[in-house]
Amino acid sequence: MERVLEDFVVAARTAGVRISISETLDAARAVKVVGYRDRALLKDALAVSLAKTAEEKIILEDCFERFFTFQFFTAASDRTGKDGDMPNLMQTESDLVRMLMEEDRAGLIAAMTEAARLENISQIRYFTQRSLFAMRLLGRMGAGGLDGQIQALRRIDTPAATTAAARLEGARAYLVDNVRNYVQNQYDLFARNEGDKRLESELRLVKLSNLEQRYFARIHNIIQRMVKRLNDLRSRRRKAARRGVLDFKRTLRENISYQGMLFAPCWKKKKIERPQIVVICDISRSVLRTVRFLLLFLYGLSQEVARIRTFVFCTNLVEVSDILGSSTVDEALTRIQGGTDIPLIMGRTDYERSFGDFRRDYLAAVTRKTTVLILGDARNNYNDPHPENLKVIYERCKRLIWLNPEVPAFWGAGDSEIRQYTPYCTTIKECNTLEHIERLINALVRR
Amino acid sequence: MKSRYEEQFVSIDTVLENLRDVAYIANRQMAMTVYLACRLEKPILVEGPAGVGKTELAKATAACLQLPLIRLQCYEGLDESKALYEWKYGKQLLYTQLLKDKLDDIISRKNGFKSAMDKLHQYDDIFFSWPFLEPRPLLKALQEKDGSVLLIDEIDKSDDEFEAFLLEILSDFQVSVPEIGTVEAVTKPLVFLTSNNTRELSEALKRRCLHLYIPFPEAALEREIIRRRVPDISEHLAHQVVNFIQDVRKLDLKKVPSISETIDWARVLMILHAEILNPALVRDTLNIFIKFEDDVGVVAEKVHQLTAMAVK
Repeated sequence: MERVLEDFVVAARTAGVRISISETLDAARAVKVVGYRDRALLKDALAVSLAKTAEEKIILEDCFERFFTFQFFTAASDRTGKDGDMPNLMQTESDLVRMLMEEDRAGLIAAMTEAARLENISQIRYFTQRSLFAMRLLGRMGAGGLDGQIQALRRIDTPAATTAAARLEGARAYLVDNVRNYVQNQYDLFARNEGDKRLESELRLVKLSNLEQRYFARIHNIIQRMVKRLNDLRSRRRKAARRGVLDFKRTLRENISYQGMLFAPCWKKKKIERPQIVVICDISRSVLRTVRFLLLFLYGLSQEVARIRTFVFCTNLVEVSDILGSSTVDEALTRIQGGTDIPLIMGRTDYERSFGDFRRDYLAAVTRKTTVLILGDARNNYNDPHPENLKVIYERCKRLIWLNPEVPAFWGAGDSEIRQYTPYCTTIKECNTLEHIERLINALVRR
Repeated sequence: MKSRYEEQFVSIDTVLENLRDVAYIANRQMAMTVYLACRLEKPILVEGPAGVGKTELAKATAACLQLPLIRLQCYEGLDESKALYEWKYGKQLLYTQLLKDKLDDIISRKNGFKSAMDKLHQYDDIFFSWPFLEPRPLLKALQEKDGSVLLIDEIDKSDDEFEAFLLEILSDFQVSVPEIGTVEAVTKPLVFLTSNNTRELSEALKRRCLHLYIPFPEAALEREIIRRRVPDISEHLAHQVVNFIQDVRKLDLKKVPSISETIDWARVLMILHAEILNPALVRDTLNIFIKFEDDVGVVAEKVHQLTAMAVK
């Protein structure tokens, strides 16, 4: 029975309940106490020892119902009743045939689950494996013998033998059908969410510009989770950083006024630094996707980031912090793109003019503590890049990070002016997948 | 040796009955959790909305087992000196005074410094020893001879550090007092932790506990609770009260009424000698089970409709 519990734990984990080894041990002990006799009791015992939040309990209960289902081999109404003369015609040496003929449900289920155990059905991962597993299960249960028997009966060719063969064929179809259902059920239990997980890890690596619209909701989900993790991680560390060790130099300095008696100790403190961020985004078509996800990320980090000011540009540059502050990133971006209520010209991208605008109007937003994030491909339509505008910004800020959604091979090719801007950036990074964004944000809030 | 808990709670049904005897109506899942906790010697982490009887469960269990209930109310800033033990500083000071007076006799001046020190060493352990220790709830629970029910209430209100500190007690039923050593439980206490989920508890803590989630009760169970807690109430009034409350819980409220509020309301209705529910009566007594001004507005609008449904 231990094996059953193990499989159940695997199924529950696939369904998204976090179960540790010690909890599995507890569950085993709990099950030993309550026994397998009472279904409701068993369910409660497992829920109490395995699931540790209200949501997990719901998932676990659902999983329990699907795992311990015995809805197989329910009576097939179209099959005729038992005939007395059947056993005479065929040698009932096979258990399978006997069980099928006598409609021994418990026996059939037991044989099937035993076969499944021997075939390690909990290892099923892909939906293409379903037929394979069904075949193997049937083999284990001795369906091969059944085929042989049917053929033998057909060869006899008497009316009685024909009906017997027909009945056996009916029984075989019934068996195959049930085994198929069972395998499907097991696949749902052990593998369905696995597929989701794989898709998610792939989505993290796929180019944002190639992403299909239908995955957006999923991506938002992933981002939310990443953001939560980052928030958790960082806020905890900050608390620990508050404790310090004796700062001897400062103690000496501070205590000079007490005639050098070491009277008031000073402790080393780590400065808690929440980054101030200025984001300058190119929102021409080529970059928009990346902008969207970057902003989603940044605005999720409200706990970590002190202040974000956002500027977008295409031909000219406009501040959109208030739009982003008041509505969700999605809505804000549609509003910005629609461009009805902001003076943004969506013509040819002009880096020279946009950085000039920034320098003229918003330079005060950049201080010694500010991190400037610029997101753009630096394709300036063969205009003069005027890097000195960027230089002024670079000299005022703490660091300037340029995120380029193009792969490095294309940097500097054609009308890309990224090489002209390179000297005035602290770092330049390629940024076109979720993974890139996450890494960047991680570096941003780490101090 | 069988512990007191196992002797008393021989099966899940006995737990149910015993709890019923002390006027606590539990469902089967709750009874089973208590039973399992006794068998596996594991703490129970009870979660659920406010007022569904999380604390009551611990109290009722203690009453059934006739064991002392030791309660530790958690709050922000709770530390081990308040939860585990503290030294009796006053007594220690007195002791030093005493020692000072007797010192001359003890180390009898004539012998040299070395022998005086040797003599003194024989006494030093007394200073940090049991007589000077003031046990706080956790230590008290470990020292009870017949076992006890330890209730750590609203663990989510305490700090992360305190939660980490609890881990040793919860898994091994022992604590470390640096000056004395490790103190093990004489008899392992039955531990209840309650949480209102104001913050997520750590995985480590959850892992060590059986997790019981108490939701709002179903109508039948709630009726039984009302009948048990407010014995004078008539059958049909209890029915109506419970129906009404169950419907109110379906509304979109800031705080939905819990069982304790249902009981309060039933008691109030008894004092007012109400026979059946009517809209005017409900409107007058609304503030018993609705605790927010906005919610009162929402419910007051629908009083007629809700009462009609409850009385039906």
